[in-house]
Amino acid sequence: MAENVSSEGLNYNFNIVKAFAICAVVYLVVGALVGDLIAWQLSFPSLNLNEYLSFGRLRPLHTNAVIFAFGGCTLMATAFYVVQRTCAVSLWSDKLAWFTFWGWNLVIVCAVISFPMGWTQGKEYAELEWPVDILIAVVWLSYMFNFIMTIANRKTSHIYVANWFFLGMMIMITYLHVVNSLAIPVTMTKSYSIFSGVHDAMIQWWWGHNAVGFFLTAGFLGIMYYFIPKQANLPIFSYRLSVLHFWALMFGYVWLGAHHLQYTALPDWAGSLGAAVSIAMIIPSWGGAINGLMTLSGAWNKLRDDYVLRFLVVSLAFYAMSTFEGPVMSLKTVNALSHYTDWTIGHVHSGALGWVAMVSIGAIYHLLTRLWKTEIYSVGLVNGHFWIHTIGTVIYICAMWVSGIMQGLMWRATDDYGNLAYTFAETVVAMHPYYVLRSIGGLLVLLGALIMLYNVVMTIRTAGQPKTAAARA
Amino acid sequence: MSEFLRDFFHTDWQAMTHVDWTGLVIVLVLAVLMVGIYIWTFRPSNKDKFEQYRDFVNEDFINDEKEDTRREVEHGQTR
Repeated sequence: MAENVSSEGLNYNFNIVKAFAICAVVYLVVGALVGDLIAWQLSFPSLNLNEYLSFGRLRPLHTNAVIFAFGGCTLMATAFYVVQRTCAVSLWSDKLAWFTFWGWNLVIVCAVISFPMGWTQGKEYAELEWPVDILIAVVWLSYMFNFIMTIANRKTSHIYVANWFFLGMMIMITYLHVVNSLAIPVTMTKSYSIFSGVHDAMIQWWWGHNAVGFFLTAGFLGIMYYFIPKQANLPIFSYRLSVLHFWALMFGYVWLGAHHLQYTALPDWAGSLGAAVSIAMIIPSWGGAINGLMTLSGAWNKLRDDYVLRFLVVSLAFYAMSTFEGPVMSLKTVNALSHYTDWTIGHVHSGALGWVAMVSIGAIYHLLTRLWKTEIYSVGLVNGHFWIHTIGTVIYICAMWVSGIMQGLMWRATDDYGNLAYTFAETVVAMHPYYVLRSIGGLLVLLGALIMLYNVVMTIRTAGQPKTAAARA
Repeated sequence: MSEFLRDFFHTDWQAMTHVDWTGLVIVLVLAVLMVGIYIWTFRPSNKDKFEQYRDFVNEDFINDEKEDTRREVEHGQTR
C-alpha cells in the first residue's frame, strides 16, 4: 500500500502503527474517564450506583485501561515503528502483527466485561482471570517474536539502544507475567494462585514493581531514546550513558519488589535489600533522564516552538522526580510513614501522568504528522492539551502528597498516654478536600485527553487537505 | 572493628541453606558484571566505539523524512 512505502522505497508496515496509535488515544480517554469517575466516587460515595459500577470493581478497570490498554497500545505502536525505522526493514510478519493487534484488543474487551462482573484474581495489576492470562501470554509472545525476527532481518549492522529497551521489556514481562499468573483454575472465572502466604505477596510485588520497572519504564525509555533525538534532530547526549542505563536497569529493577512489603511477614533482610537496590537505581535513572535532557544542550530554544518536544522533555523531568521519590519512599523510616497512605497514589501518578502519559502523548503527536503525512489540525489545541495536562497532573499529585503525609501523621499521632489521637473516620474526613482536589486534577487530565482525541480525529480526517493559517495557530 | 560493625557483618555460615547460597552467588555475579559494565562503557578507548551511534536515528540511511522535515519547519515545529 502506498502509505507503507517510504520515500526511499523501503516497505514499512505503518498501518499497524496507525491502528495501535489510534487505539492508544481512545484508551487514554477511556482510562482517564474511569479513573476520574472513581476519584469522584471516593469523594462522594453516593456515586457508587450499584455493584457493577462500584469503586472496587472499576478501580482495576482504570488501572488496566491506562497501563495495558493505553500504555500497551503505545508500546506496540512505537516498538513496531522504531524497529522498522532503525533496522531499515519491514516487520517480519504483517499477519502476526495484526494477530497481536486483535488479540491485545480482545484482552482489553475481556477486561471491560470481567471487572464490572467482579471476576478477578485479586492480584494488583494482574487481576484478569486465568483464561485471559493465557491469551495475554500468547499475544505478548507474538509481539515479541515479531519484534525479534524483525531485528534478525535488519539491514543495519547496529541494533539501536531503543530496541534494546523494548526487547528487555518484552523478555522480562513474559516471565514476570507467566510466573505471577500461575494458578489452579476452579471454574472459567475463578482460580487460586499456586503461591500462598508471604510467598504469594513476594511474587505479587516482584511482578507489581516490575510492571512499573519494565512495562512502564524500560519500554517508555525505548520511546524516549528514539523520539527525543529524532524530534530534536540532534544526537543523543551520550550513547555510552544509554548503554549503561540499559544494563543497570536490567540488572537492578528485578530486586526492588520487596520494598513494597516493609514491616510485613517478609524477612527483614529482603526489605532492606529491596530498599538498598532502590537507592542504587537512582544512579542509572537520573543518568538516563540527564542523557535525554542534555540532548537538548545548546538547543533549548526548540522548546519554544516544538510542541512535541515540550511533552517529551517535561516527561523526563517527571521521570527524574518520581525515580528519586520512589527510592526515598522505599527506605524503612520513610516507608513507616508513607505506606498505605495516599502519598503512594501521588507517587504512582507523578510517574503515570507525568512520565508515561506525557512521553506517550509526545510520541503519538510525533507519529501523527509522519504516518498520515499531514500537518497537525491545530497546534493551539496541542498547546492547550500540554498546559491542561501539566496543571491537572500537578494538582493531582500535590493533593495526594498533602493528603498522604497528613494521613500518615494522623495515623501515628498519640496523646501523652500513648492512645491514638485520631479515629480512622477522623482521618477520612480530613482527607475529603484533597480527594475533591484530586478529582478536579483528574478531570483536567481527562479534558486534555478529549482535546487530543478531537485533534487526532480532525488531523486524520483532514489529511491531504491544505491547513488554514487559523488552524495552525 | 567496633562491636557494632562486627555484629552487623556477622554471618552464620553453617546456617546457610541452598537457597541462601544460590541467592548469594547470584548477587555476587551480578555485582561483578555490573562493575564490569561500568568499566567497559567508560573505558576511554571504547568511547568512539559507542559514541559513533549518538546520531543513529538521524543518519541518512534511515532518514527518509525530507518531506516531513520540510513540513515541520513550515509548521513551526522546528527551525
